[in-house]
Amino acid sequence: MKDVAVLGVGMHRFGMWPDKSNGDMGREAGLAALDDAGLSFRDVQAAYVGYIFAPVMSAARTMKEFGLTGLPVQHVENASATGSAAFREACFAVASGRHDVVMVLGFDKMTAMIQSSAQNTDPAWLEDSILPAGFFAMWATRRMHERGTKPEHLAAIAAKNFNNGALNPMSQRQASETVTVEKVLASRMVAWPLTAMMSCPIGDGAACAIVGRPEIARRLLPGRPVVKVVASALQTERYERGHLFIGPVVGPARMSVDTSRAVYEEAGLGPEDMDLVQVHDAFAIEELEYYELLGLCRGGEAEACIERGDFARGGRVAVSTDGGLIARGHPGGPTGLAQIWETTLQLRGEAGKRQVDGARVGMCHMMGGGSVCAIHILARD
Amino acid sequence: MAEASRPRVPVKEGYFTVPSDPATPPRLLGSRCDDCGEHFFPRRAVCAKCLSRRTTDVELGPRGTLYSYTFVHFPLFGSMRVEHVGYGVGQVDLPEGPRVQLPLAGKQEDYRVGMTLEAELEPLREENGRDVVIIRFRPVEAR
Repeated sequence: MKDVAVLGVGMHRFGMWPDKSNGDMGREAGLAALDDAGLSFRDVQAAYVGYIFAPVMSAARTMKEFGLTGLPVQHVENASATGSAAFREACFAVASGRHDVVMVLGFDKMTAMIQSSAQNTDPAWLEDSILPAGFFAMWATRRMHERGTKPEHLAAIAAKNFNNGALNPMSQRQASETVTVEKVLASRMVAWPLTAMMSCPIGDGAACAIVGRPEIARRLLPGRPVVKVVASALQTERYERGHLFIGPVVGPARMSVDTSRAVYEEAGLGPEDMDLVQVHDAFAIEELEYYELLGLCRGGEAEACIERGDFARGGRVAVSTDGGLIARGHPGGPTGLAQIWETTLQLRGEAGKRQVDGARVGMCHMMGGGSVCAIHILARD
Repeated sequence: MAEASRPRVPVKEGYFTVPSDPATPPRLLGSRCDDCGEHFFPRRAVCAKCLSRRTTDVELGPRGTLYSYTFVHFPLFGSMRVEHVGYGVGQVDLPEGPRVQLPLAGKQEDYRVGMTLEAELEPLREENGRDVVIIRFRPVEAR
């Protein structure tokens, strides 16, 4: 990726917001990002907007919240990887020289989606009839069979993410006291062995990033560290025997391996260079698998690393520093941009109580519907 | 049993057979590539492996090997039956090659990775005097 920086970031806290519209949440996140960048909406030359569940034309309509300036607006959708995919297109728009300043806005009200899908889909066929947790739970069952993984390992990941989320003002779940492995295990069983606290909540929210040419950041905010987007990769699945064509959701493990190799190659960096990593931890088993699939540890070593605390803040590489999908939340469209928000603040040294000391390089990984993997690497210039 | 005597219709056409004899297990409707021989479920027009446009409809199963499974502690969407308030889901490797994800009968303790399962039809609800059925798996030894 050539000369693209994150100029500004902003969020509307994830949570249950029945009285707020996508426009309300998107406006708050977008204005926060503009203020963070020191820019006016007049400076924004294009917008890429990510949402999954909102009606047709919600991109252009929501962008009117900022004023009507005639800018080109595109809707990008890739299931859970929607915000990441929109971010990637915005980066390309800058890297290609087409635009200097581009807004990426993600929003969604997953609470509304749950209501409409219960009414509209053919309810009785396979992926429509099975709770997503069920698909991910089977990943856990297989892992337990092959590697002797214990529910305690999954609970330790969830507890770490809850406790990170408690330090993030934008996190949906804000635990009032330290969350323990025992508490996670004792929460309601959703799909064995996954409990409610090992699973992300449904919620609403918005997140925004402004991307542009790095010299703009240096000119507007001299002295503040510039965060550059050094690599972007997005892949879909390659066929392998045993591929699940119905009810994918999880996606083949190889997709995260292949996509991370591509992004490491473009960045000229390896997993050992990462100071912090955000992953698609919709369920705790995912984060455990991604440690290995992204190369943060070797195959079969995830459980030992969890027991050592390798992926906590202060560990070898901090993972899901903002609480991850499990605590920070996962409304859909904005989720990938919440990862960019967190990584940008961390690399600037502005992450407050959850700051990873000396963070210089961070990675953001999202999966979309089990069929898309999107990964970005950001670095402090 | 009264349910078995009613005519049965699949919840969705084109995915599994509904044998007229209730004792005959259903089979999954898939495709075989005419060029590379790879099998797929569900049916597809283009081979996902070699990209050939020549595929033939085939029936798969009814037996397979359990790759992984879970039990979900929520109602099965679309079912009107109280016994479906929780349900199993399994990934089953068919002898022809495809892996399928389908509901499981019974309870969690009935299952272990690697066991042989067989497909069966399960009524979800009654519509116009007919049973609307889905396909699911159960352990062979429990039959």
